[in-house]
Amino acid sequence: MMGRFVGAWRLFRENLIGRIGLTLLIVFALMAVCSFIPPLIDPMYQPMHGVDPEISHSTGPSMKHWLGTDFIGRDIFSQLLAGARIAFMVGISAAFMSIFLGTLIGMIAGYAGKTVDMALMRLADMIMVMPTLLVVLILSSLFGQLHIWTIVLIIALFRWPGVSRVIRAQTLSLKQRPFIEAAKVAGASHVRIIFRHITPNVLPLALLYMTFRVTSAIIIEAALAFLGFGDPGTVSWGMMLQWVWKTGHMFQAPYWLLPPGICISLLTLSFYMLGRAMEEILDPRLRQEGASD
Amino acid sequence: MTKFNPIRIIAFGVLLAAVALAGCSQKEPAGMLRVGLSEEPRTLNIWLASDANSRKILSKIYQPLYQHDPETLELIPWLAADLPEYDPETVAYTVRLRGARWSDGAELTSSDVAFTAKLIKEFRIPRHYSRWKFVTRIETPDKRTVRFFLKNPKAIFRSRSLTIPIVQQKEWEDIVRIARTKEKPLAELLNHQVESPVGTGPFVLKQWREGAYLHMVRNPYFFGTGKTIAGRQLGPHITDIVVKIFGTSDVAILALKKGTIDMFWWGIQPGYLDDLRNQDDIHVYFSEKSALYFMGFNLRKPPSDDPHLRRAIATLIDKNFIISRILQGFGTEMYSIIPPGNRYWYYPEVEKYGAKLDRESRIRKAYDILTEAGYSWEAPPIDDAGAVIPASGIRLPNGQPMERFTILTPPADYDPHRAISGLMIQEWLRDVGMPAYSRPMAFSSLLQQVKGRHDFDTFILGCGKLSTDPDYLRIFFLSANDKPRGWNMSGYRNPEFDKLATESSQAMDREERQALVRKMQEIVLRDVPYYPIYDPLLIEAVRTDRFTGWVEMLEGIGNIWSFTQLKPISRDS
Repeated sequence: MMGRFVGAWRLFRENLIGRIGLTLLIVFALMAVCSFIPPLIDPMYQPMHGVDPEISHSTGPSMKHWLGTDFIGRDIFSQLLAGARIAFMVGISAAFMSIFLGTLIGMIAGYAGKTVDMALMRLADMIMVMPTLLVVLILSSLFGQLHIWTIVLIIALFRWPGVSRVIRAQTLSLKQRPFIEAAKVAGASHVRIIFRHITPNVLPLALLYMTFRVTSAIIIEAALAFLGFGDPGTVSWGMMLQWVWKTGHMFQAPYWLLPPGICISLLTLSFYMLGRAMEEILDPRLRQEGASD
Repeated sequence: MTKFNPIRIIAFGVLLAAVALAGCSQKEPAGMLRVGLSEEPRTLNIWLASDANSRKILSKIYQPLYQHDPETLELIPWLAADLPEYDPETVAYTVRLRGARWSDGAELTSSDVAFTAKLIKEFRIPRHYSRWKFVTRIETPDKRTVRFFLKNPKAIFRSRSLTIPIVQQKEWEDIVRIARTKEKPLAELLNHQVESPVGTGPFVLKQWREGAYLHMVRNPYFFGTGKTIAGRQLGPHITDIVVKIFGTSDVAILALKKGTIDMFWWGIQPGYLDDLRNQDDIHVYFSEKSALYFMGFNLRKPPSDDPHLRRAIATLIDKNFIISRILQGFGTEMYSIIPPGNRYWYYPEVEKYGAKLDRESRIRKAYDILTEAGYSWEAPPIDDAGAVIPASGIRLPNGQPMERFTILTPPADYDPHRAISGLMIQEWLRDVGMPAYSRPMAFSSLLQQVKGRHDFDTFILGCGKLSTDPDYLRIFFLSANDKPRGWNMSGYRNPEFDKLATESSQAMDREERQALVRKMQEIVLRDVPYYPIYDPLLIEAVRTDRFTGWVEMLEGIGNIWSFTQLKPISRDS
């Protein structure tokens, strides 16, 4: 197992896209970790309600406020750091939940087959065609502003079908392999076969899809917040963009508009690059294709 | 390879020139005013129109008997020939009409006025009925005279009832007749689709392409053309108004800067100001609003049924922070329910909670109020040494821990000022250990929760267009209005206030009424069912290169006086 990991890591290090993605990800992770520091230095760096007592309007970058202040004098850099924390939280938790659901349902459908397979896959089809953003917008207008964890849950509930289809296909192939037949002959239960023998074989694929799901979760949350349907109690990058837009600073304060926009792009890009690199490691055909270029 | 062909080049050049000429010839006529609106009007049915955009359009078509003077806000005869005559013996008002015509050429008569009032009473039209329900009889002795008999003297009749728009009997009588036969006559009337409204105003609707624009043209029968009313020579001098619909302020402001529109008919966020001020041909107007943005408490349930808690919360709210930072200085602090701009009725001597105090002093004062009322804490906001420290675990006077205390606000998308004010107030309440949570929610859901279900602790709402008559003070807090969908949203019940309110609505002597209204303001600010926060300034921008003559007034420049006095600037000059 260790040898397999070392081999994969060696392949990953050789992959330029993967290295860039990982570097970016480390930078954002550091930003998220450091988001706790500014409020400890001075309460005015509290991203949501800390204001500079001497500044009551949007100002450009300075020594005191590296990225400037927003329209009521809050520090934009502190907000950007807090936004990284929210982006990680939303992205990773929504992706984890959707992958968990997708893997579980995909394995059950693939292994059980027949009616169970048909029922689960039709359900997946129905959910897959629903536009996630639109559904969350409708729910939000019906039930008022949604809490960040509710948004995470909704994203997870609408993003599992794609994963479940891939995992089901993999499970169908695994089910025919001799080692599954051997387990059956040895008297292993269905639950044991699924979790002991199939899960380890589909897990790398699930993790690969998780990186792509993180990307879509971050984008959905940012879009929701930008449109005014995010959680108003959190400082996310989408929320920062909404504030800059709604207060009329869109074209007047590039130091406020650009950082959250760039961060959303780079963080989603980093997860995408990581996913691409992992895909090449897991699928030798892609690797050979890359080598022949 | 294609051979060089001079004929093709010439043809291409001719084509380019033709396109350029066509572009030049598309220039709007000098008298066409191009206005930007942020949203589509919802209806042209005057009885259904409750949204600002529909009212803006319809206010140029349907006219009232009286308008307000832009400077003094006094009543000015408009469709009426002079001020109403009051007969105290019969409790009747007599109004004489001036010679005016509808946009179809027919004469405006007293029957039209009587028809409008009777329609409102019969169908109990929302927003209008309360102003007319006390009128018992309407007589039309001749075609220019209307006499209204009231059940008892009503101070609001002149300023509130006689300022409603008058509709044409000919246009509406068939619609009314059909509506009467239906199971739900009011719904039938409100749902009637009006396509070509007939009015007496300076403009008539020519075309409405939904989602794109509205085109209005000058009404040739407008009664004011060439006349001097309130010392103002009326036109209109503009031939057309084209109202373009923009989805967002950003696009509309870009259009204004580029010269695609001459006016953006919507309040502008202060963030745009620096950019607009740098434009040569753009002028920015700042107008006072007759508005009230306030925090309302639910007096029907604990903990906000306790006046001590409400006073402590009022003390903690830092209005100066809200005005200087959230409104960027474009607003005024409000201490009474009546805005300070309404000078005659405004009473400045009310209780001013937390005025001019810094944050620590506010916490100390609120702590004192709560401690005296029997509140206790696990960790009080003031320690033994007298220093302000983080508080937690506030308990009600009965010893129970205070449950989650929710502040409902409209979403930032709808109004960023109120949404962010809610967040800041949440933090200020947490300073004394209150478990406060600001919860922005869709505006319609918020209204349903507050007005319909009465299921809330507090809310932040605004009344964007208060009338100059202070009768809303009575309407907001009268016990009888504490009902589902009633205007007494807080559930305030005070017999002393009710008595004063009823007396004030019947007081025909202005000074006597002023004294009653002042006393009412004092009581409201003592009991704090609503806590007034701010009255924002209205920021509007226009281009100065095509039209001149905008009239500044309370509620902005988009008033009837502007639209009847605006003049195109000569191209030669």
